[in-house]
Amino acid sequence: MRPRSQSMHLAVILVLALRNLRRQLRRSILTASAMIIGGWLLLFSFSLGDGTHETWIDSGVRMSGGHITVERPEFRVSRKIEDRLPTDVRSKTEQALKSPEIAAQVVAVSARLTINGLASSHAGARPAQVIAVDPIAEAAFSMLDDQVVEGRYLEPDDRLAAYVGLGLVQSLDLRLGSRFVVQAQDTAQDISGQLFRVVGIFRSGIPAADQSVIHIPLQTGGDWLGSDRDVTNVGVVLADSATVAAVTTYLERVLTEPIARGDAAVMGWRESNPALYAAVVIDNFGNYLLYAILFTIIAFGIVNTVLMSVLHRHREFGVLQALGLTPGQTGAIVLVEGLTLTAISGLIGVSLGLLTTWYFFGDGLDFSALIGEDMTFSGVVIDPVIVPLFRVSRLIQILAFILFVGVVASIYPARRAATIDTAEAMKFER
Amino acid sequence: MTDTDRAAVRTNGIWKIFQQEAEEIVAVRDVSLTIERGEFTALAGPSGSGKTTLLNVIGGLTRPTRGRAWVAGREVSEMSNQELARLRLNEVGFVFQAYNLLPVLTAMENAEFPMLLQGVGSSQRHERIRELFERTGMAGLEDRRPGKLSGGQQQRVAVIRAVASRPALVLADEPTANLDTASSEALLDVMLELNQELGVTFVFATHDEQVMEWSRRLVRMVDGAIDSDVTRS
Repeated sequence: MRPRSQSMHLAVILVLALRNLRRQLRRSILTASAMIIGGWLLLFSFSLGDGTHETWIDSGVRMSGGHITVERPEFRVSRKIEDRLPTDVRSKTEQALKSPEIAAQVVAVSARLTINGLASSHAGARPAQVIAVDPIAEAAFSMLDDQVVEGRYLEPDDRLAAYVGLGLVQSLDLRLGSRFVVQAQDTAQDISGQLFRVVGIFRSGIPAADQSVIHIPLQTGGDWLGSDRDVTNVGVVLADSATVAAVTTYLERVLTEPIARGDAAVMGWRESNPALYAAVVIDNFGNYLLYAILFTIIAFGIVNTVLMSVLHRHREFGVLQALGLTPGQTGAIVLVEGLTLTAISGLIGVSLGLLTTWYFFGDGLDFSALIGEDMTFSGVVIDPVIVPLFRVSRLIQILAFILFVGVVASIYPARRAATIDTAEAMKFER
Repeated sequence: MTDTDRAAVRTNGIWKIFQQEAEEIVAVRDVSLTIERGEFTALAGPSGSGKTTLLNVIGGLTRPTRGRAWVAGREVSEMSNQELARLRLNEVGFVFQAYNLLPVLTAMENAEFPMLLQGVGSSQRHERIRELFERTGMAGLEDRRPGKLSGGQQQRVAVIRAVASRPALVLADEPTANLDTASSEALLDVMLELNQELGVTFVFATHDEQVMEWSRRLVRMVDGAIDSDVTRS
């Protein structure tokens, strides 16, 4: 076929497809409406879902070790002070996090000395998770400093101050200003005790944290346990959980040697908080399943509409073939019709979804009437206000999915149009 | 040049048998026919006599069960679907009983459709179409959609569409069946003029006495076979 003739054929196919859509305007609008609503729902609910997951992740990682944590591989299981991070690894990690390549992604960094101990008072003894922190760095990292119910959070000049969970305070019958002792294993593997005074009481809403967590100054922890400036882990909070892989790869590159020596491991939140990761995966799977069902129904609607249109125009396709279009070109008209319809309606739907996402972007959607304010799981406090999150990658995924549905839904009708018996079609009476 | 090359159409022992459940229906029975270039021929006969089926075989719309057919020297019975589409585009024009204009295109666009597919440039297309619209009394109706044209006008557009791409042959299946006598006569007049002035070969399938009277050659078919073949001087 000559190139000019080929481009003419393409132009003819396009013109016929577009005019046929306009000719069956009511039918086209009805089909498009289903796709528009589908695209709208798809984008908005995925933005809402992504926003929910991001809130879960943010809450979960701030209550634990961050989006990324650098620690010795054994520490995750042993939680012992001898499995602390060597000082040079800590310095290298903190230096790397200031590098221009990743600094923009880093929101907060906190070097912590985390140990298990036993807190005692006149009322008895309770197991405790003691986290020695730099008060300024930790305030940017964790959400605990905002959850004060009495007193205040730690300050840089504090020495023997402790910020204690409400549950533990109640168990030990403590109050603001009370003194209590914490015993833990020090670097010489002896049991060592330290007296602390309650300067603040918090309530996170997570029972496990409220009944066991004690924040103390990092300097005090080092002096008490003989670890000096060493820490057990360096936690990193990022602006977007989607950048975890990139920042992890960068840190692994910088820490190649300590990692090879077995002195450090870089872990994303998925590894350090598998329960949270599982919750996000399951929730996403539920969404995907729901939308697969919705779009299967929409696809059947499109198949039905396009197929009806093909059957209605049986004779017309016969005429087109009699005039010199090949069966493939006849099918292409139907395919272009289906694709155009889905592309245009998909774009409208996605635009509406974007507008809705944008509308709720500031204040979010408040679901407190439905889920209350005290729901938690896997160390995550569920925020009843969900702020949708827009991601370009999600937009591309959704548009590609809509086009895919359009192609799949148009293939069968296109095949029907391409395989008609021309002579029979000419006899066809509507 | 052989007889086959010179002829617009040649068939040799064409059979077309349709299978309807367990029954075989013979639509065309051993038809051998030669139609020279420039002829104005009518295939006449009652309904079911096989004239439309023979027209479809000649035009490459259906394949014969047995036998061979040539159009403008090219054998159609062995062609692939692609080759048949190209043959229909370049060598054959069709006029149908139900006009079969594309409803989404204007009269002008319908008429130039085969030329568009052939890749003919727009100025050449428009020049040819305007001349044919003038010649057939359709000037001024170029921008109307088929739904806004009378039956006679639609059929004239169909004739223009069939001849504009300069095919070797125009096959017309009952072109006057849906027209009144005056419109039929006007249409036949147009086709005869195009036949005489442009040398286009016309083959009609018809049972319209008026068409038979206008034809210079009349091939009568009965039960799928040629019953008589008369050429008038």
